[in-house]
Parts: sequence; C-alpha cells; structure tokens
Amino acid sequence: MIWLTWRQHRKQALFTLIALAVVAAVMVPTGLAMHHRYERSGLAACLADLGDAQMIRQSEAAVHCQALSHQFQQQYSDLAFVAILFVILPVFVGLFFGAPLVAREVEQGTHRLVWTQSVSRRRWALTKFGLVGGVTVVLAVLYAVGVSWWFGPLVTASSGRMGYLSFDVQGVAPVGYTLFAVALGVFAGTLWRKVLPAMGAALVGFAAVRLTVETLARPRYMSPKTLTFSPQSVLRPNPATGDWVYGQGVRDAAGHLVASGAQIGPCAPPGCGGVAAGSYNWQLYQPGSRFWEFQAIETGIFLALTVLLVALAIRRLRDIA
Amino acid sequence: MTTNDQGAHTMELALETGALGKRYGRAWALRDCSLHLPAGRVAALVGPNGAGKTTLLHLAVGLLRPDAGQVRVFGRDPRDDTSVLAEIGFVAQDTPLYRDFTAVDLIRMGGKLNRRWDAPLARDRLASLGIPPDRPVGRLSGGQRAQVALALALAKRPRLLLLDEPIASLDPLARREFMQALMGAVAESGTTVLLSSHLLADLERACDYLIVLQTARVQLVGAVDDLLAQHRTLVGPRSTDTGTPRGVVSVVRARHTDRQSTLLVRRDDDAVIDPAWIEHDVTLEDLVLAYLAEADTRATRTAWEVTA
Repeated sequence: MIWLTWRQHRKQALFTLIALAVVAAVMVPTGLAMHHRYERSGLAACLADLGDAQMIRQSEAAVHCQALSHQFQQQYSDLAFVAILFVILPVFVGLFFGAPLVAREVEQGTHRLVWTQSVSRRRWALTKFGLVGGVTVVLAVLYAVGVSWWFGPLVTASSGRMGYLSFDVQGVAPVGYTLFAVALGVFAGTLWRKVLPAMGAALVGFAAVRLTVETLARPRYMSPKTLTFSPQSVLRPNPATGDWVYGQGVRDAAGHLVASGAQIGPCAPPGCGGVAAGSYNWQLYQPGSRFWEFQAIETGIFLALTVLLVALAIRRLRDIA
Repeated sequence: MTTNDQGAHTMELALETGALGKRYGRAWALRDCSLHLPAGRVAALVGPNGAGKTTLLHLAVGLLRPDAGQVRVFGRDPRDDTSVLAEIGFVAQDTPLYRDFTAVDLIRMGGKLNRRWDAPLARDRLASLGIPPDRPVGRLSGGQRAQVALALALAKRPRLLLLDEPIASLDPLARREFMQALMGAVAESGTTVLLSSHLLADLERACDYLIVLQTARVQLVGAVDDLLAQHRTLVGPRSTDTGTPRGVVSVVRARHTDRQSTLLVRRDDDAVIDPAWIEHDVTLEDLVLAYLAEADTRATRTAWEVTA
C-alpha cells in the first residue's frame, strides 16, 4: 500500500517540492533583508526597550520607536500582500492533495481495480489518508515555522500577531487549516466523485468555514478585557504588547461613548479643553499575551473538523462501487 | 427435478445468490435474483444494457452492499472479507487501470496488494502477447489494456474470475484474441468464470453455462446443454389459442403469421409433444432472444399499466 501510494503521488510530491523551492527562493532573501533592516534600524532594540507593560510613559524614545515602526511598515508594505498568498496556501494543498484522493479513483474507475485486490477498503483508506496526512503535517509545520520567521519583524512592527492576517499564518493554526483543507477535499471527493467539482466544493467549503470561524467565533474564544485611562495621565497603552484591539473611544463620566475610534490626551494638568470633566479613554481588547491560547483553540476547532470529515469520508467510501 | 439441480447440491458452488436485490433510489437495479453457479463452469451473463449485469457482478465482488437477500462466493460473504476477495479475479467494465503506470508497475502493485500473487504468470502472458513492459498503459491500445487487466486478474490465481463486458469496446480481432487468451488460461487452471456481455455471439462458443438478465430480473439460468435439451421450437398451423400444447410446460414466446404459428416452448421431459406441431431444436441465440423479448414485452406492459 505504501509503495502504491508513493507510485501514485510521486508526481504530486515532485511538484510540491518545486513549489516549496520557489517559495523558499522568494522568502529567504526577503526575510533575511527584512530581519537585517529590523535590527540595523534600531527598531528591534527600541521595541524591546518598551517592554511588555500594559501602560508606558509617553517618552521621546517611545515616539521615536513608533516613527521607526511606521517607516519599517512603509518600506515593506508590499510584502504584507505576500502574506495574503500565505493565507490561501493551505487551501491549495487541500485542493491538490485532498480532492483527487478518492475522486480521481472513482472518476477513472480505478477504485474497482484497487478495492478488488486482497486489501480491505478501510486499510486502503487509512494508509492513503495517513500517508497524505503525514506529508501534509510536515509541509504545514515547515510552512508555519518559515512564515512565522519571515513575517515576524513586520508583525511586531505593526499591530501584532493577534491581528487578522498575521494570526492566520503563524503559530500552529496553519497546520490545523491545512489538515482541514485536505480532509475537506477528500470528503468532497467522496460526495461528488469527480475531481473538478470536488475541488470547487472544497474551495467554497474551506472559505466559508474559515471566514465563519474567523469573524464569528474567534473574537469570542475568551472574553475581552477593558482598559480605561484618564486623558490627563502620562501613561499610554504600550504599542509593543501586540494587543488585538476590538474598539476604542472616549466615554463621559456616565460611561456613554462620546467619541468612537479616538483617544484624547495626554493633556497638561488643567485638563483638556472642551472635554467634560470625568471623561476617560476606553479600549476593548484581547491581550497579545493570549496568542497561544487563541492558537490552541483555533487549531483545536480545525483538527476536530478534520477528524469528523475523515470519519465521514470513510463511512461514505463503503457506499461507493 | 432435473439432473442439473441434483448436481448442484453435491457440487461446490462458486457463486450463489438468494433473493438478491440492489436498489438505486426507488429503482431496483437487480431484484429477486436467485441463482447458482457451480464451480468449474464458464458462464455467460447475458442481457441488454441496464439489465443489472454490472450490479450483479459488483455485488459478487463485494463492491456493492445488497439491499435485499444475500450473495455468497464459495459459501462466504464477499463484502469486507479480504480472504474472499483473494479468491476472486475481477476485471471491471472498460478495464480500468492506473493510466500512468506501466505494466511492470501494475504487476508490482498486484504483488503488494495480494498475498497470493503469481507475477511470473502475468509477465509471461504479457511478454507472449508482445505488450511493452515500460510504457504507461494509458498509451496502449484498448485490446492491449484489456489483456493487461486480464493478466492482473489471472495473477491472483483466482478460483472465480468475474469479467464485466471485457470485450465490449474491442475491435473484432482483439475480441477473438482476448477470448482465446481467456479460454486458454482457464482451461489450464479450472477456474470458474462469469463474464457478462450484451452480445451473446461473443460468448456462445466459449460458455457452458448461461444466465440471462433482463429488467433487473433473472429470466433464465442453467447449463447450456440442459437448456437446449429443455426447449423446443414448435411450428404448426396458426393458432392464437392461449393454452399450452400437450407435452409443453410453458410457452416462452409465440409468434404468428397469417398461416402458421411458431412457439418457443419449455417441454415436459416425460411427455411427448402433440404431433400436430413440428418440433425443431433451438439454438442458444433463439433461446436467449425469446426470453429477452418476452421479458421486454412484459416490462412494457407493466410500464403502460396494461395487463396481459
């Protein structure tokens, strides 16, 4: 079975290696340049100096550091778009590894050849799914480690790794996405039994589930924290914590939101002109320190879906003839 | 009880089905199928397209799960039992093969997927047929691909060989070569064979057992010699009388011209047929066509909700 799986998929493996080499050829030089620039400009050092305190004193150094961040982001803003490519990479693995696994066999009728040898359908399925799944895990880990390294400076210089695009390509979540995409492709193949419709269905399904989880579920994994601080305070939120800010604004003494998306201060001791007494700055956020908790929950959801889809696919196989 | 039926009790059965049925949605692809195929026979499974031949073969090789009744191969259920699968050589319709594999790859694959595997047998067969070992089978001719598929099925050294329309897509020369190769191989090994076709002519010379399927039901089953002995064509003066003539068990098919009637009948072994009729032997083709035509008429009547 192992030999057969290798013989059937060796072309795919070769193409995957070529694709990996191409991606690496782009990532390694740009990543090195970015890391170099990050260190040399002093951005790395100044961000480290800001520490991980929630609030910091608004100092000359902090302002300078923010300027450096902006400069860095401007310089590499084009590369941030490459990250979009990384977001959709898992679905390609699902389309090209997962969807044809059963669908091509049925489309070409070869399931009638391979399932009528002396190997049970279940063993055939477990071996194939296992091997393809294993290769997928290796690829996904490589991808996650590589992208985390490559994207690190840009993410730290901007809004942090809890943000929408950066959360999705770092940590362990990409492994969950990729396995889910493959399982979805396999399952779609047992339903449509033709490669192209299975690929189309897997693509639509993957996008739908990912978007749903990302927009509806993820913000609710843990209850967000609230931060309030006075306009007169010299302490401001630390930009280096990498918090995921849901919303911010100014509230009056009664707690009503009077200005959305804005913050005021720091003002000199007499108070800020035109702002009612007792007003305060307000921010609703997920702390950046919750990154790994969020990654674990997100990955868990997609791994559970993967297991479910594989079980359903094996069930469906029994009815294919 | 005929001699054949008595034999079936003592003889090993390669394939046995009881009230077997398979449904797709609400339509039955095979219904109430009860038949015995004794070991050592070469059986033709005949019927028009859509009669249920492929469904029966897929049930026999465990690809499909029955919705009714049961199927046994050498007394065991072929579904999810790899020890039964090991006894069956199966060549599916259109002889599916991994098109980018070479013949050598396919033989190697068979070795990996079967405990009993006669690779030299497959290699010798393909070598003697002049099939290139190192070319992807997708680039071989249809006849060559069918030969590769047959060689793979035979390399399992199966006790039951099932072939689903193996020659339907071949040209006449390749058909003859395929049938010769098949008959040569099974004559040596004593393998039981069941091969389906919608054309009887292809199988007539090779087979000694016959199963006729039509509209999802078994219309006729038995050893060819017995079937020929049991049936007669009767020719006599025109008579549209629906009763059966003396010495006849049933009229399978009646045709009438202005002057005479021709009946294909199943005769009573122990009785003499009414001498008003002139008796002729039947050919296998007459027999099959009569059963198929009769079943067809019945099905049409049912569809139009007209009673006979």
